[in-house]
Amino acid sequence: MSFIRKYWLSAVAILVSVVVFLVPFAFIVLTAFKDPKQASLLDFSWPQGNYLWGNIVEVVTTRNWMLVTAFVNSSILTVASVALLVIFGAMVGFVLQRRKTRLNGLIEFLILAGLMIPPAVVPTIWLLQGIQLFGRLHGLILIEVAYGLPFTILLYRAFISTIPRELDEAAIIDGARPFDVFFKVILPLLWPVTVTNIVVQSVAIFNDFTNPLYYLPGNANATVQLTLYNFQSQFNTSYNLLFTNIVLITIPPLIVFLFFNRQIVAGMTAGAVKG
Amino acid sequence: MTKTTRRTMLTGFSAGLLAMTALSGTAFAQSINLTYLVPSGADGVAIAEELVKTFEAANPDINIDIETRPGGSEGDNLIKTRLATGTMADIFRYNSGSLFQAINPAQFLVDMTNEPWQADVQASFKQVVTAPDGTVRGAPMGAAMGGGIYYNKAIYEELGLAVPTTWAEFMANNEKIKAAGKVAVIQTYGDTWTSQLFVLADYYNVSAKDGSFAGRYTAGEAKFGTDAAALRGFEKLQETFEAGFFNEDFGAAKYDDGIRMVATGEGAHYPMLTFATTAIASTYPENINDVGFFAQPGDEAELNGLTVWMPDGLYVPQTTPNLEAAMKFVAFAASVEGCEAQTRAGGASGPYLINGCSLPEDVPPAVSDMLPYFAEGGQNGPALEFLSPIKGPALEQITVEVGSGIRTAADGAALYDEDVRKQAQQLGLPGW
Repeated sequence: MSFIRKYWLSAVAILVSVVVFLVPFAFIVLTAFKDPKQASLLDFSWPQGNYLWGNIVEVVTTRNWMLVTAFVNSSILTVASVALLVIFGAMVGFVLQRRKTRLNGLIEFLILAGLMIPPAVVPTIWLLQGIQLFGRLHGLILIEVAYGLPFTILLYRAFISTIPRELDEAAIIDGARPFDVFFKVILPLLWPVTVTNIVVQSVAIFNDFTNPLYYLPGNANATVQLTLYNFQSQFNTSYNLLFTNIVLITIPPLIVFLFFNRQIVAGMTAGAVKG
Repeated sequence: MTKTTRRTMLTGFSAGLLAMTALSGTAFAQSINLTYLVPSGADGVAIAEELVKTFEAANPDINIDIETRPGGSEGDNLIKTRLATGTMADIFRYNSGSLFQAINPAQFLVDMTNEPWQADVQASFKQVVTAPDGTVRGAPMGAAMGGGIYYNKAIYEELGLAVPTTWAEFMANNEKIKAAGKVAVIQTYGDTWTSQLFVLADYYNVSAKDGSFAGRYTAGEAKFGTDAAALRGFEKLQETFEAGFFNEDFGAAKYDDGIRMVATGEGAHYPMLTFATTAIASTYPENINDVGFFAQPGDEAELNGLTVWMPDGLYVPQTTPNLEAAMKFVAFAASVEGCEAQTRAGGASGPYLINGCSLPEDVPPAVSDMLPYFAEGGQNGPALEFLSPIKGPALEQITVEVGSGIRTAADGAALYDEDVRKQAQQLGLPGW
């Protein structure tokens, strides 16, 4: 009896998370196994026969192996953007937290503005065209960095305030130059919040749909989320292929989550203690 | 290394060299690269691929890359953005009619008025790709669609029903189908846009009674709420709801459920545009011969005719660096070979708007049922959205209300007039 009283809340929580997270995922996987007719019913049923392999082959080879190109592009985009975000976010956060100047208020305002003001598409494209970066992957990388930077800086700044200033001073007394202080002393200490940043930003960038759609036209530049539109239109959607595609492009973020699971939780709580 | 291996290597090497020169030879010949932007979706892309393949076979020096874009409002934004920033593909496919007007054709699109192939394009299509300055700036792409009612032939046969030509006959058929314990009318408000069909597809009946309605409507003189003929569309929706003809889950069912129900005989009638024929043919191929089509009946049998939706247009932006090659492709798409390629890829979903194009003998019944309306002695006319720039954005919400019994027809029509007024004012039309 006391067992039930002790654990019923946990049981309810587990049940709810199963319903919220696992059931939709099971639906996606089941639909990926179906043939077009059964898939178009969109119901929660056991597949009649295994069509998974045929679906995968069709999804991967559609539009001249577009999905492969898309995976390459998305990987480059995600890795490069997240690397830049982590380095710049940590640097700005460090300087902002440690050095108090009259400009701090203005800089903080700009960071908040970056979070709050919605970006406009057409002027951004004009700017990109002006610097010859429109329709190129590095142009989009810069855009993703710009959109993600404010949030990253906020996380880093909050975390750096928990690192005692004495550490920097000790390093400086031992003769470290400013860059050494940052890269050799501070950055390794930031690992928990760096993991949080990596996970949050890479999921966001990998799953980004609108930015690649507008800033990166052309088949050679497709990213994974854009491939979903190969199987979907207003009047005629191939649900079996659509869901197979979803399964395929869900795998990489899932792997990231499995690997970093523990650090994510640690990083989240570490960043949350001090504002 | 033995002599034989050396010889094989040598042969292999020279074969490789030959292959390379052959490859570079073709690459050299394909000197012009074009991009062609089409809405995504397996059916549209298949048509584009077949068109491009046939075109490239005839023009080896031009190479066309197909790009896709999402449909709906996301696609509208993308088209406008790419036109405004000068990054549009060399050729693109987009809606005709009011959406065509919304992309400012006179500023962005190439004038095609004097192209020789325009002589074979039917006048009814030209009027929906004509810019405000009177120039034609598009070519037809795809087949015309009818707005009307799909019916299940098996149910009609079983109950001994005839295709109705008046609304009274249609309601009598529904009564019999309901008495036989079947769903008479399928409605799918899970996709709200499907609720508008009874009102939109009724427009031929409005124009048959009053040919000047579109003009007076644009000028703000005729209203849905006060014009008896125009109000009938809303009333028909209310009548079918009140008679209890709908499927039980009409509030939640989706478009995909609707085409399944009419194809497999779960329901007898489904008001829809005829593009659904290709969807039925690809998902329920064994039922395609059970599905027929008729125009939404009006009140008088001799005025029975079909409300027609014009196909998309093919456009060329003024920013293209390869104007000549792009125009060559447009000319090909607007030719008889062009529509044959489309039929090969997607099956025929309706008549083409190019003179000389014909449909194969073995088209599905839902398509051949449409043809009499286009043949001599048949009657058809474009839907209101091709004749007037105003279409209220809230129509689908209003028709859901009327079709669910939340609002009466007269009330819904009056509310729609209010919705339309806002849009007319936004467009700056005189008389509002």
